[in-house]
Amino acid sequence: MTTFYGLPNAEPFWHWTTPVHFALVALAGGTAFYVALRALRKDPSARRLAWLALAFIALDLLMLWAESPARFRLTHLWLFLSFKPSAPIWWGAWGLAASALLLLLLALGARGERLWAGLLALSSAVVLLYPGYALAVNAARPLWDHLLLALFPATGLLLALGLLAWLRPAAEVAPWLQVAALVSLILTVLYPLALRFGNAAQQTAFAQWLEGAGTFAAATVLLAVAAIWARKNPYLAGGCAIVATVLLRSWIVEAGQHTLLTHGF
Amino acid sequence: MARYAMVIDLEACVGCAACAVACVLENEVPPGHQRLWIRERELGRFPELTVEYRPEQCLHCERPPCVPVCPTGASYKSEDGLVLVRAERCIACGACIAACPYDARFMNPAGYVDKCTFCAHRVREGREPACVETCPTGCRVFGDLDDPESPIHAALERARRVDVLKPEQGTAPKLFYLNTPARTGLRDTGKEVDA
Repeated sequence: MTTFYGLPNAEPFWHWTTPVHFALVALAGGTAFYVALRALRKDPSARRLAWLALAFIALDLLMLWAESPARFRLTHLWLFLSFKPSAPIWWGAWGLAASALLLLLLALGARGERLWAGLLALSSAVVLLYPGYALAVNAARPLWDHLLLALFPATGLLLALGLLAWLRPAAEVAPWLQVAALVSLILTVLYPLALRFGNAAQQTAFAQWLEGAGTFAAATVLLAVAAIWARKNPYLAGGCAIVATVLLRSWIVEAGQHTLLTHGF
Repeated sequence: MARYAMVIDLEACVGCAACAVACVLENEVPPGHQRLWIRERELGRFPELTVEYRPEQCLHCERPPCVPVCPTGASYKSEDGLVLVRAERCIACGACIAACPYDARFMNPAGYVDKCTFCAHRVREGREPACVETCPTGCRVFGDLDDPESPIHAALERARRVDVLKPEQGTAPKLFYLNTPARTGLRDTGKEVDA
């Protein structure tokens, strides 16, 4: 195939800022979810952690604004003036906004802590879910398989727990870290299998996955280390979890852009 | 309301790219980007050879996957079936670019997603899209699928075969390709040509 007088718009449309955003949103959503769990147990440390989650949300929103070509047109207001439940990003925007408000209420010690914590568990789950949803919804890019609906929330939570393993007492975070690492590990192993034994488009995507198999192998080893060492050495496990999740998520976002099915050329 | 569509007769297209040039001039497409481009495909085996020139652009799908993923309603389907972008609402998130199976969208450097509109501004004035008006072989026909008198119906009825890009995606494109020289249509399954 050759083209002239123009090429199809096939260049990557998301750049390094998108994986960074997906990492920050995972830290925000995962930390907020953890805050909600602590607050439901009436743990006084939840108030301090709420500020940390708020900082992640602020950092993420700042980065999103700064990297957007539309940053000076203030069009992001339309996210909150539209009703678009079919759009994953619309859910992400509302999830982040609601989480920020609820975290502020918890950080300031507003009355009704358990109610706010329950609502925060829901809104932060939306934040954790939406990046995977935003990828999996694109039927034309089979590398972004439906399994990402589970893989992205799991790795998102793991990323936040990996960081919290360094900031919080080991005994408190380690059990959560271990479970999240195990679930992420299982899903990471299942992901190429789902492609390999899927439909024709997914099998094409599997061939592309093979090009990134080294990244996946490294991430799988790191996730296994995190799962095995979570209780013995949470610092090491946390570090492994952070590196593995960032590797996995970034590769999937970057490589998935190039999996458009060909149509006769 | 109308249901606008376009057909391109690949037997008549000579790949002159006048349509692509007209599109750039009419819509002030920024350098380095395209609303319309042309693919060239060699078909057959010597001595039975032919070349297919296939212009591509937004297909204004009946079920456009780019519209539901837009979080602000910037991407929408108009009442007359055109898939359009309200630049003033676009947050440049790229979700619609990811969703489009045809690579038909791009990020305009001005900070919004851009694409072929079937020259909606001209259509509103009762004129044809610039690419249709410019085509020297008349291989492009624009019209209303809901109007039996529209020339697009005659073109579709005359055609030996009608194809759309990636029918398996279920998007129901409204850009139809007529008389592709390959027996297998638009899908590339080897070197072949009609006798």
